[in-house]
Amino acid sequence: MTVRKEQELILQQLGRRQLANGTIDRREFLTRSMVAGLGLAGVGAVAKSGGIGSAFAQDRPLTPTFYQWIEDLHPAIPAVNANFEGINYQIAPVEGFGIERFVAEAKDGKSTWDVYAGQTPFVEMSAMIEADVIEPWDPYIPQEVLDDMIPAIRDECTIDGKLYGWPFLLDVIGNSWHSGITEAAGLDDTAPETWDQHLANAKAIVEAGAAPFGATFDAHGWRSIAPMTHSLNSDVYTSEGLFDFTNDAAVEALMLMKEIMAVSHPDILLEGASDGGVNGTPDEVAFAAQRVGYYHKYFNAPLRMAQNWDDPKQLRLAQLPKFANGEGSTVFWTTGCALFKHGQNKEKAAEYIRALTYDSQIWKDSIVGTESGHPGQLPPYKSVYAEWDANPPDWMPEFVGLVRGQLNQAKAITNHLFGLQQFVIGKPHWEAYLKGEESDPKVALQNVADAVKAEMDRG
Amino acid sequence: MAQATIAQRFWVFREGANVWLFLVPTLAFFVGYQVYPIFRVLWISFTDFQYLSNEPANWIWFDNYVEAFNDPLMWKSLWRATYFTLMFLPGTIILPLLLAILVDRVSNPKLATLYRVILLIPAVIPSTLIFVLWKWMYNYQVGPINHFLVETLGLFTLYNAPQWLGGTPLTLPAVAIMEVWWGLGYHTIFFLAGLAAIPKELPEAARIDGATEWQVFWHVTRPRLAPIMMILIVLRFGTAMAVIDEYLIFGGFNRDSPTYTWTIFMYDQAFKLGLWRQGFAAAIGMIGAIAMMIVMVILIRIFRPRG
Repeated sequence: MTVRKEQELILQQLGRRQLANGTIDRREFLTRSMVAGLGLAGVGAVAKSGGIGSAFAQDRPLTPTFYQWIEDLHPAIPAVNANFEGINYQIAPVEGFGIERFVAEAKDGKSTWDVYAGQTPFVEMSAMIEADVIEPWDPYIPQEVLDDMIPAIRDECTIDGKLYGWPFLLDVIGNSWHSGITEAAGLDDTAPETWDQHLANAKAIVEAGAAPFGATFDAHGWRSIAPMTHSLNSDVYTSEGLFDFTNDAAVEALMLMKEIMAVSHPDILLEGASDGGVNGTPDEVAFAAQRVGYYHKYFNAPLRMAQNWDDPKQLRLAQLPKFANGEGSTVFWTTGCALFKHGQNKEKAAEYIRALTYDSQIWKDSIVGTESGHPGQLPPYKSVYAEWDANPPDWMPEFVGLVRGQLNQAKAITNHLFGLQQFVIGKPHWEAYLKGEESDPKVALQNVADAVKAEMDRG
Repeated sequence: MAQATIAQRFWVFREGANVWLFLVPTLAFFVGYQVYPIFRVLWISFTDFQYLSNEPANWIWFDNYVEAFNDPLMWKSLWRATYFTLMFLPGTIILPLLLAILVDRVSNPKLATLYRVILLIPAVIPSTLIFVLWKWMYNYQVGPINHFLVETLGLFTLYNAPQWLGGTPLTLPAVAIMEVWWGLGYHTIFFLAGLAAIPKELPEAARIDGATEWQVFWHVTRPRLAPIMMILIVLRFGTAMAVIDEYLIFGGFNRDSPTYTWTIFMYDQAFKLGLWRQGFAAAIGMIGAIAMMIVMVILIRIFRPRG
């Protein structure tokens, strides 16, 4: 009898949340309440038949699916899984952010999995919503977890007021340097605060012969022009959510890229060697080969590359420099979890993702590194940082506090169907300026905006 | 008399039915696996089908084709594939042919077998390993090719060494070199099989009649290898024009890259951009396929065995 009442209470709460959230209307709410009133036998029958939604149609164990690299870089995940008896943990059939399988299943009104850990909002969240693959977490995520999210991260995962991504692994674009090289160039072992300092230091490295190249960056737009623009001004998105390439801040960023290129390795603009050119980029090779002093990218990159150095302890990490009059923002993104609309075990999925994203061992491993990798990805919750502030762990490196500070200003790339692709389409056009084929950065960036618009106009 | 005719017809029909019965599995496979997908893509190419959209597709006749024909990227990307094929195709014929003739002249059976095994090694290496190997070989900063050019020969410096991969003008020749190396042994075996089928008396008789080695090759060997040459040219033309994996790996989706060919253009539209415009992508694919078929017919005509 107690179990029955608990089940009815859960159903009522679920219904109320869905009504408040707009997932169901009043008629549906009343129908469900009536069905719930029929008792467990009726509820079970209706739920199994799909009439009451799939939240309680648990005819299989909780089935999460993870992007392979998440498992590779975070060895503590199996320990979390161990607390969820019968969990059917799987690796996702995705490569290079491909979501074809998820979409194909959704078209048939089904999903092999309940939750996908591997969604990057600006990359594929809009597409997953458009294709009716995922649904909002709002009816299932506890309010205290929502309130605990760093506001910018919650914004990143929200579209039209609904939380479509439960943030997990936070990547922030920041700066890094090889202290062995900077010391050999006679530079202080402190982070350059402005781009002017950054450039001056990079030139000093080359002039002193401490390394062949002064500085580098990843030339893909979301890792270069976007964060550099944000460091001056992050209010650079059009009303429809596209990056405003014609904004003055973007022009300044492009000019800065060209200045850095002058002290960088000649292959800096080349495509990478994996994931359709997106990863295995030349900047990583240069930094791993200890041929360059400064490097700005998401922290995972310098941390991984420094493992190839003679002395990995010479790596220094810090926040992204800013323009002298700049806002001091950067770009971040989270790799989070999406809830499949046609999946099952939705309450259980929320319980699982909560346990996963608050797991202290995962965060320690990510920040300190393990034998399997050193991702340097950070948690999305205020309370985790507050706990670390109150009781600083002896393993905590300095950069975490710096990045947390910058997160108050940092901004994610706005979600849009072309959120990532606008940078892919635009790259050849702004590179015309970087290569000297176009002398005016404004013209180059106007060409970018035109090219993106032309592609969107295709339909 | 009439009864005999009926009986004969029955037996003829039964024989025919037997033949068709045995053909059914192949026919079913052919229709289901080859014909249906082609006609499905053809149908999609006349619609505004977008994979991520839940709206039903509309029949739009030739709009996708008109759009593709009017898009400079379509022509540019087709030319890039052609350019690669022009570099790749001679390498799949001339080098293997030369090697086959050399290996065919090795009289020691053990040595001849050893040469064949060595030649076949690249062909049995999985594509992933081939790509990893060549990515490292061509790497601007740490690759052995540039190391040799910069450190050993001193022809270049770290600041002006060749940039092989990643979307530079050297990328297509670099990929072509890799492909030729990869298929060298495989193609050589084709020619070795052809050479083995030529009676030894023919070149010997020509030599006795005073023919030079070149004349022997041109007038005796080459015509008898013509069917193999034609098969290789047609098959490899098709694969060279439709390369996609290598371009995705060595060039990405940068539209200015020489590796952004019509296959990448098609993939980009079908699985990356917007709502995944698969109707338009299908039209790009059909245009590419038809262009290839036209050239194939011409190639078959040119390289058909004569005499």
